[in-house]
Amino acid sequence: MPRRSRGGLEREIHAVLAAGDGPMTAGQVRDALGGDLAYTTVLTVLSRLFDKGEIAREQAGRGYAYSAPYDAAALTARRMTLLLDDRDADRAAVLTRFVDGLGPGDEQLLRGLLDR
Amino acid sequence: MTAPVLAAFAVMLLFAAVAPRLGQRLTPAIATCVLTAGSVIVAGSTGFVLAVLALTWLGQAPLVAWLADWSPSELDANTPVPEFVAAGALILLSAAGLRLLIRAIRRGRALVAVRRAHRGSSAVIVVDSDCPDAFATPAPHGRIVVTSALLAALSPEEQRVVLAHERAHLRHWHAWLVVVADLAEASNPLLRPTVAVIRHAVERWADEDAARRIGDRHLVARTVARVALLRHDTADSPLAPAATGGQVPQRVRALLSPPPDRRLWLVAVIVGLLTCSFVATFAVERTGDALFDRVATVQDR
Repeated sequence: MPRRSRGGLEREIHAVLAAGDGPMTAGQVRDALGGDLAYTTVLTVLSRLFDKGEIAREQAGRGYAYSAPYDAAALTARRMTLLLDDRDADRAAVLTRFVDGLGPGDEQLLRGLLDR
Repeated sequence: MTAPVLAAFAVMLLFAAVAPRLGQRLTPAIATCVLTAGSVIVAGSTGFVLAVLALTWLGQAPLVAWLADWSPSELDANTPVPEFVAAGALILLSAAGLRLLIRAIRRGRALVAVRRAHRGSSAVIVVDSDCPDAFATPAPHGRIVVTSALLAALSPEEQRVVLAHERAHLRHWHAWLVVVADLAEASNPLLRPTVAVIRHAVERWADEDAARRIGDRHLVARTVARVALLRHDTADSPLAPAATGGQVPQRVRALLSPPPDRRLWLVAVIVGLLTCSFVATFAVERTGDALFDRVATVQDR
């Protein structure tokens, strides 16, 4: 079996949760993936996805059961919203925005130009 | 070696001083390409000249001299570069290299994070948000992201303008041009005004491209102005206001005027300047090479 990339495994685990009937434990997720992964690997990815707010979890016995509240499209939209709100200058620098913010006095200038 | 070094620095300073002014008078596409290429050439030339200067001093260190088969005393006796100049060059070079490295890592990380965020999604992504906004992620396979608030506020014609503008960014790889210019600025902060002009030129380029495809400059002008005002009116706008300002009114004014002339003679001026930069850098390379040949302990001949 080819080695999975980190992002690839995240997507696979998300897909398993989204396709599942209800909340799944890390063990159930591992079995659904084919069982060739270490339990701790699955658990690590699940925690990372939870930290990013992309999946939900609830107490189940001594551990957690995880579920995916968003489907793939909604997840992309959610990630894009994060880019939108990003105050990270590096992210802003690699995106090409339609308009930048206005400087002082620009507002009146623009209204004047629109009325022309 | 002194004359070509001074010439290389003089050309760099001249470019940093005049490129922003000349760039504003060129058509946006030409300005973007010429200024970006120029920034890279000038930054590279400065880095190379600093490295040669630094090496005349660094080469006297026993370890370096031993590795390169130079005689430290011969180098000391033959170098035309005063020690404090060479040491200063080494400090500047290290600072520039460090800044470049940090900037490259940070931008690289951002590029990977953005790419990862939209893997497997459609070409245009509509995000449910109250803030009117639109942007494109870097090519290739860049996505156009538009918020629901922006789509709701615009007429179908205006929506087409926004998409045409963002598509132009993707088609011409604008995000990458800006990143490259930005890296040149990281290694040489004197290029900051030039890079600001490049950023603006990229937006103007996308405006002109959209105007040509849609065939209505006035519509594009009105859309740019309306979106900027819409964003401004949204109280909790997530973006801080532009530090400089005046960019959006400039874009609108340019669109309300006829398309700009090409002014190829101005391009010739910049290309001439860059040729001087090449020649001076090459002369530094030749004289540097001759110096290190002269002090070599093992003669090739």
